[in-house]
Amino acid sequence: MDRLYYTPKEVAEMLRISDDAVLDLVHRGEIPALRASARIIRIPTAGFEAWREGRKPVRRRVRISQASEPERVDGIGEGEQLPEQAQALRR
Amino acid sequence: MIEATTAELLDYLADVIERAERYGAVVEPPYDALEVEWRRSGDDLLMDLDVRPRLDRPTSVQITLRERWRPIDQDRWELAEYGYELRDFELDYRRALHQHDSDHFVRRFGVTSHEHCEAALGSATCGHYAGAACYGALDGLERLYVVWTSGQKPDCSRMRCLGDRGA
Repeated sequence: MDRLYYTPKEVAEMLRISDDAVLDLVHRGEIPALRASARIIRIPTAGFEAWREGRKPVRRRVRISQASEPERVDGIGEGEQLPEQAQALRR
Repeated sequence: MIEATTAELLDYLADVIERAERYGAVVEPPYDALEVEWRRSGDDLLMDLDVRPRLDRPTSVQITLRERWRPIDQDRWELAEYGYELRDFELDYRRALHQHDSDHFVRRFGVTSHEHCEAALGSATCGHYAGAACYGALDGLERLYVVWTSGQKPDCSRMRCLGDRGA
């Protein structure tokens, strides 16, 4: 089965540093991490490997398009049955 | 309601892409370019970003982050709608975090946001599930990544159905 994340403890073992040092790197935003709950942190494997190899995302330049474009056909929530519609169908 | 200035929105889109890549995801075109855009739709601004969580083999998993921001002032915008979706075609499930058609949902259920859960793609046993509102795409991305990294189908039966069973 694919490993999708590491625990902070596993990362600590791989890096040969303490658990607290890993958590410090997580809290400083150095190691990418997910907060699965208030007490559970997951470190995505692909993100960790990229960080370990020193690969960093390139910061994008962002602008606002000049022209209004036609929307993609499936708008947000489009095709979804709304509450009133669902009720009406049952009457 | 989440509000932002134009400058904040420009930074925000860059932040979302950067966060996805830091998680190890592949960002799909056109957002993989060095220069990316908020798309205009009338007066609104749209984000329509697809990312693929990466493993060391090809996978069929897609996360889509969509937002519509509406102008409320000369240089201020509000997040009017969002739809954050995870489709795992390997394990065959869908999870989604939505806020749209808020008037309908407030009138009927007293909520502005809702979720979707399909333990098999295309077969929902509940039309809309209760769920906490997202604080934007960074939050939505993290929540969907947590679902995906569990490596299992979600247990939709543990979620609270708002209504419209089988819708």
